[in-house]
Amino acid sequence: MQIISKGLTFTYNREADFHRQALQGVDLTINEGDFFGIVGETGSGKSTFIQHLNGLIKVQGGSLWVGDFNLAPTDKQGKKQYKKMLKQLRHKVGMVFQYPEYQLFAETVFEDVAFGVKNFFPTLSDEEIEKRVAKAIDLVGLDYNKVKNKSPFELSGGQKRRAAIAGILVSEPEVLVLDEPVAGLDPVGKKRLMSLLHTLHDTGIVKTIVIVSHDMDEISENVNRVALFCGGRAVKVCTPKELFSQKDESSSRLGLPVTAYVSEKLNEVGVELSSDFKTENFIKDLVKKYKETV
Amino acid sequence: MLSDLTFGQYYETDSFVHRLDPRIKILILIAYVVFIFVARNFYAFLALAVFLVIAVIFSKIPFSNMIKSMKGILFIIVITVILNVFFYKGETQTVLFWIITKEALIFSAYMALRLIILVMGSVLLTFTTTPVALTDGIESLLSPLKVIKFPVHELALVMSIALRFIPILMGEADRIIMSQKARGADFDSGNVISRAKAMIPVLIPLLVSAFRRAEELGDAMDSRCYSSSAVRTKYKKLKLSARDLVATLVSIIIFVSVIFLNGLGGV
Ligand SMILES: Nc1ncnc2c1ncn2[C@@H]1O[C@H](COP(=O)(O)OP(=O)(O)OP(=O)(O)O)[C@@H](O)[C@H]1O
Ligand SMILES: [Mg+2]
Repeated sequence: MQIISKGLTFTYNREADFHRQALQGVDLTINEGDFFGIVGETGSGKSTFIQHLNGLIKVQGGSLWVGDFNLAPTDKQGKKQYKKMLKQLRHKVGMVFQYPEYQLFAETVFEDVAFGVKNFFPTLSDEEIEKRVAKAIDLVGLDYNKVKNKSPFELSGGQKRRAAIAGILVSEPEVLVLDEPVAGLDPVGKKRLMSLLHTLHDTGIVKTIVIVSHDMDEISENVNRVALFCGGRAVKVCTPKELFSQKDESSSRLGLPVTAYVSEKLNEVGVELSSDFKTENFIKDLVKKYKETV
Repeated sequence: MLSDLTFGQYYETDSFVHRLDPRIKILILIAYVVFIFVARNFYAFLALAVFLVIAVIFSKIPFSNMIKSMKGILFIIVITVILNVFFYKGETQTVLFWIITKEALIFSAYMALRLIILVMGSVLLTFTTTPVALTDGIESLLSPLKVIKFPVHELALVMSIALRFIPILMGEADRIIMSQKARGADFDSGNVISRAKAMIPVLIPLLVSAFRRAEELGDAMDSRCYSSSAVRTKYKKLKLSARDLVATLVSIIIFVSVIFLNGLGGV
């Protein structure tokens, strides 16, 4: 599903007098198959934007299409119809909030993961539910037989997060949206979560991934396109390479991934590298340059 | 959204009422509540209502906000009125459905009026007084009880923490509701029971996080060597001013007039 946002605006607490405009016209297209990154300073509207993608926030101004779903409520559409659409949309667009482990509630991990399927497919048989739950728990790298009867609150922080993500994957979304999914994880946990996302994307289990992140290394390593948010707008939509090689005010405040930083320093001493900033390609390029000069 | 609830949340602006000493505001409110139940006829109620309107005007709080804050308790008012209409024993003959008397109707109307101005008065206090000022005021008013070893300071601390946590927990509830909605949870269809059931996936994470926060706060206070018995000074000392005198005088005039107006006759 392609996501097209045109002139999307949003204001929190519109009627109160302390309101402020969080989105000031977001123009952005996310294609099917993208591993899409969203970066930007804190308060730039990233979370507000992605919450629109499965209708958790109603469109106030501008237009937003997610696949065939028109998220700006039209007058013709009844309330009932809109709600029905939202349910369909939410099963297609999975949303992993920041610290998703805080949404765990059920007595067992099984029940918690099953929550989504039961909501979206109330007619499913018990065996079918179990199959799907087992698949989702396996996918996130937890041992189904070990954890299914455990209380979600007995898991470690990283495991909790995996269980929470399984609770989203279980409804087999086409688009997976994640708000700072690795925040608060240790380096190993971060790597494993990112490689999980890669596996999901590469195997086509999830077609499109949208990820909000403050970690530029993560962005340069993983995404194929990236949007830079600033003051409630997507001021740049480009490849990570373009983002980290251009020098202007809005991107200089972001910081650089290590690879981009090193190539900048090398550039200063006259070594020109041309790769993108994925570590693998960067090293290849560096070795090639080295061999050329020796 | 939950956080849209205006009930009890401080409304930031600078006004005569905002600047009043919290102790005076609390005392006036207590007296006001007492007089709401002393008032016996229409004129007395009118005086109290006028007082409220004047106070709202001087607080610069939009009337729409005051009205909105009533939403939460509308249900209680309706229930009270219904119960009163049916169960109040009047003497005159029935006017409706054989059991409802004229007295019952009048009595219920007064009851609803009482509840409305009572809640509005209380809301006005929380709208115009920060939680910190409110607890400071209560602590100061209760401080004579220290003589009999009543834990005034602890009580004030518990109150201020509770008040401080309300908006945080509301925000948290909002977030949890959103993440469960993203998993297909439906909070606004079905009958009362299924709706109540639908709240479980919200209430449990909310409780868990409240406990987590409480523990963290306790640790943070311990690590800074907090002790409730320590003698402490205040950053902002409460001081009475001319403003408070004016407010007190006006209130006294209103309350005295309620007593006089009561003399005009009952119900
Ligand atoms: N529930 C809310 N009520 C009122 N204002 C809000 C709310 N949530 C966010 N805002 C405001 O909207 C603006 C955008 O917030 P948003 O959460 O989208 O930023 P963000 O880019 O996700 O930031 P971060 O990187 O810190 O997560 C901010 O100015 C914020 O203060
Ligand atoms: Mg955010």
